[in-house]
Amino acid sequence: MTRSTSPFDQADIDLGTLSQDLYQQWESAMTTWWDQVLDSPEVLKASGQGLSTLAQQRRRYEEQVDSNLQRLHLPTRTDLIQVTRIATLLEERLLKMEDRLLEVQDQLVAAERETVQARIDAAEARIEQREHLAELQARLDRLEGNEPEGEPAPKPTRKPPSRRAPR
Amino acid sequence: MTPIDRMSELFRFLQADPVARARAGQSPHTIIHRQNKAVLRFFPARGPRQGAPLFISMPLINTWTIFDLLPERSVVAALTAAGIPVYLLDWGRPGPEDRGVRLDDLIDDLLPRAMDRASRHARSEGGDGALAGLGYCVGGTFLSLRLAHDPGPISTLALLAAPIDFHASGRLAAWASPDSFPLDDLVDGLGNFPASLMRTSFQLLRPAGQVAKWKGLYERIEDPGFRQLWAAMEQWSEDGVEFPGEAYREYVRRCYFDNALITGGWTLGDRPVDLGRARIPAVAFAADGDHICPPQAAFGLARAWGAPTQTRQLKGGHVGVCVGKALPAALIAWSQEQAE
Repeated sequence: MTRSTSPFDQADIDLGTLSQDLYQQWESAMTTWWDQVLDSPEVLKASGQGLSTLAQQRRRYEEQVDSNLQRLHLPTRTDLIQVTRIATLLEERLLKMEDRLLEVQDQLVAAERETVQARIDAAEARIEQREHLAELQARLDRLEGNEPEGEPAPKPTRKPPSRRAPR
Repeated sequence: MTPIDRMSELFRFLQADPVARARAGQSPHTIIHRQNKAVLRFFPARGPRQGAPLFISMPLINTWTIFDLLPERSVVAALTAAGIPVYLLDWGRPGPEDRGVRLDDLIDDLLPRAMDRASRHARSEGGDGALAGLGYCVGGTFLSLRLAHDPGPISTLALLAAPIDFHASGRLAAWASPDSFPLDDLVDGLGNFPASLMRTSFQLLRPAGQVAKWKGLYERIEDPGFRQLWAAMEQWSEDGVEFPGEAYREYVRRCYFDNALITGGWTLGDRPVDLGRARIPAVAFAADGDHICPPQAAFGLARAWGAPTQTRQLKGGHVGVCVGKALPAALIAWSQEQAE
């Protein structure tokens, strides 16, 4: 039987655990270093100045490209932005009209519901009136002796009043 | 798997076509409203209806697909399967012509109109038009302002990793300080705030996170589910969206410089808005490992909101919380509690 000559085997070292430990140590050290850098007011100020310079340069570049295109009588980025902006404004106006139309539609639906309810109420009132008249007629007939006493006129059946639909 | 096999598998995976690796936003839906670049998407319920339809306000700075990343990791798929129809407001990708878009245009015009269209659509689907609200990240901050001012058809509010107390945002709050952050120069020079700059700053919040991400892939390279999720997350985070310039100027000034949601003084148009005057119940969900909106920044809602407010902590990071299984379950539970 041959014995391993690897120093790791002889020292009984698990390479997997070792690499995990190394990674964790490296991660912890790196995090500490990054934390110091990223939380440092000097670094933040310097990166802010860097960003500011970058943004100003970008602006100057855009302006330069625009003026070159203008000199060549070609549409510039600003022109395209203006045209697209006009399209967006037109869409906004259309959407406002759509809002208004939907509101009118809501009002129409509510008005229609109210009209139907009013017609139902009127029809019910008319039926009630007719029943009342029939009752009066029956009492009149009784008074005039047209009907035998003790046999009252049949009471007209009344429908329960309709519920008003919620508006 | 030996380290060599692992490395070759990793290279094979990275060389593969990224489109074939992951395709987000696949849940069936229809677009019911558009305004400028914004789109209102409707995901119908796939099970017996329960609770009010959910109106979701997504963040401006990333695409909406984080809520529908993969079929088995999709917030909208889980909600619709549980019988909750979803209306999702995707703010779209602003172009250079949108550099003049202001916060009022977003919070006082676009947002209420989208809420109105969602409510009308819900009525046409047989409901009463009432909605529940959910806002993620900046989308949540905006939704809370809108609902404090006028809840409209929304009867409850849930916020996910949405900063309210911006001065509790840790390193990000320290960076966005008027002393060192050249806000005006950036907006005047760059127009819209670039997505690449935003992504770099988020990555720098936790520099070791980048190494940990690759280490995680190396260690789990033989797991196809993990590989797919890793690729989808990677594609999503690379696909950033610009922040409209003027809106960004107002956002950083009012939120990070002034902390106006907590200290007050916010106005919509010329009307003052105070979260303390809110009248609908709310819940703030925060992720325990969130370095962009730490729990203390999200839970600022409990101090500022005028109506009963709960706070709940979930496992994960700012983005990871959206692809975990805990979020849909927590949202469904909240919806059921409010329906009772």
